[in-house]
Amino acid sequence: MNMQLLQDVVLVSPLIALFAMSLLPVMMKVFQGNREPNPYVTLFIGFIGLSLATGLTAALSGADKTAFSGAIVFDGITAWMSYLVYLITAVALMLSFDHVATRGRQFAEFVFLMLSSVLGMIILIMSNDLIVTFIGIETMSLCLYILCAMSKEDVLSKEAAFKYFILGSFASAIFLYGIAFIYGTVGSTIFPDILESVGTLISTNTLFVVGLAMVTLGFAFKVSVFPLHAWTPDVYHGAPTPVTAFMATAVKASTFVAFLRLFESEGYGDAVQFQNVLQWLAVLTMLIGNVAAVMQDNFKRMLAYSSIAHSGYIMVGLIAAGFGNNFDAGATSVIFYLFSYALMTLGTFAVVAMFEKAENSTVGMNELKGMANRYPLLSLSLTVLLLSLAGIPPTLGFFGKFYLFSAAIEQDMYWLVLWGVINSVISVYYYLRPIVMMYMSDDVPVEIVGTNGMTRLTVIFTAALIVVLGLMSSPVLKAVQRSVTNLF
Amino acid sequence: MPAMTEALLKVSLNHYLVLSAILFTLGMLGVLLRKNVIVILMSIELMLNAVNITFIAFSRYSGNIDGQVMVFFVMTIAAAEAAVGLALAVLIFKRFKEVNIRYFEHLRG
Repeated sequence: MNMQLLQDVVLVSPLIALFAMSLLPVMMKVFQGNREPNPYVTLFIGFIGLSLATGLTAALSGADKTAFSGAIVFDGITAWMSYLVYLITAVALMLSFDHVATRGRQFAEFVFLMLSSVLGMIILIMSNDLIVTFIGIETMSLCLYILCAMSKEDVLSKEAAFKYFILGSFASAIFLYGIAFIYGTVGSTIFPDILESVGTLISTNTLFVVGLAMVTLGFAFKVSVFPLHAWTPDVYHGAPTPVTAFMATAVKASTFVAFLRLFESEGYGDAVQFQNVLQWLAVLTMLIGNVAAVMQDNFKRMLAYSSIAHSGYIMVGLIAAGFGNNFDAGATSVIFYLFSYALMTLGTFAVVAMFEKAENSTVGMNELKGMANRYPLLSLSLTVLLLSLAGIPPTLGFFGKFYLFSAAIEQDMYWLVLWGVINSVISVYYYLRPIVMMYMSDDVPVEIVGTNGMTRLTVIFTAALIVVLGLMSSPVLKAVQRSVTNLF
Repeated sequence: MPAMTEALLKVSLNHYLVLSAILFTLGMLGVLLRKNVIVILMSIELMLNAVNITFIAFSRYSGNIDGQVMVFFVMTIAAAEAAVGLALAVLIFKRFKEVNIRYFEHLRG
């Protein structure tokens, strides 16, 4: 056997392990005559798959090489973001095990789809070629479309799944058309080739600029950035809450990595117009997300709008990385922010999941009234999570935002940072409202019913992690920085 | 006959690009304007196939074979997408007894 090929296969062994383990639950179901296997066993298999993949990633980390003729890259960013996605998935599996809309007779398929979706995300994180990026995005999204629909709830989840499917395919087609143009003008789809010719092509070749714009739009859809953000609240609201938590965190994290890799070039330095457009997109994303969130009474929709706003903040770091002279600093801040964003969003959605009594219930702000009297620890955790989302020190969210904005300040993007700070101030209003409801009301609180041991654990775990990592954020940042500087 | 060969030889990269742009736009309009779910699915397929024409045209006129390989990937993805889309359409049909997006009015705000 060819040695090179063997090495390449070893490099993608986390993907192979993940895929093999994802098949086990459905196979078990098929061989037992379509009887649902014990959900604890299914969950356990899912965890084994995730920990196998984590172990293989850890064993391979530091490899810093490309595989399959440069189409796949394994570097520091790959390792860090893979860990994050595995962690998110483990938490999302725990949430869906507890949740009323996803528990029960189709859990084996659920775990299979979840792990397949993770497979797509890891391809996306590893990809060093636009076509591989496209395949990663599609693998991830196709599983998510079905996951959205796999709720016991009948109307909203189906509508959400279909809206997501149509708009997602539409965006993918635009993304693909952009790839075709870039391929036509550069003659290759591999990132290093593209990034090498960005500098000359971006000012001379209209076809290339159109291609780049279309690819940017495709990414913008997946991370819900301004012109293509409108699906986010509807889909996040309709999908079962554990799937929403998964979508809001893992999809954004992995797509932003691929987006970031597209900006790792000095060539963007002179593309002032492209930078202006992206800056406006970032500002509008933040504004729309925050202003719409202020007016929401539905907790889940509010979080959806807040996740749009957070995409805007991450765009600030992305622009600092791409259009400044220090890619590493910008990339580090983006990755650090993705970590903090994922932790706090997961925790908050876990609280929403706990409050949902039936598969079609909506959690309004009023339901949080007086919660502190009955569930003090849970209220404290939610307070920490919301303060972190608002970016109040000494939580992880504050340091995430701080590093993002300071990376942009370093590149003299004061205007952009000013908008970021204004938006953070707006966001404090709607993040504090639930806290006020929890602590300042004497109403009899709503009772939390059903099995929710693991969900409760998740909320407390993420809140604790946010405080601990927030207090020791500088060693964490240094570790991320080291891995980013080793970027291959 | 020679006149026809002559005309065929004059077909350049730009002709193919314009054709694919027209097809892509038609697909886009179909997704944005039509209400029937099946027609929307077909329009998405049209968009993807327009991209395939672009890939092959670029590949043919630059002598770089990569573009033709990509078409296979795109076709595979398009098939998977159609499968998922039709499965969702069946689900919608079971619930609403018609595959039309005008029933999608529960999620808003």
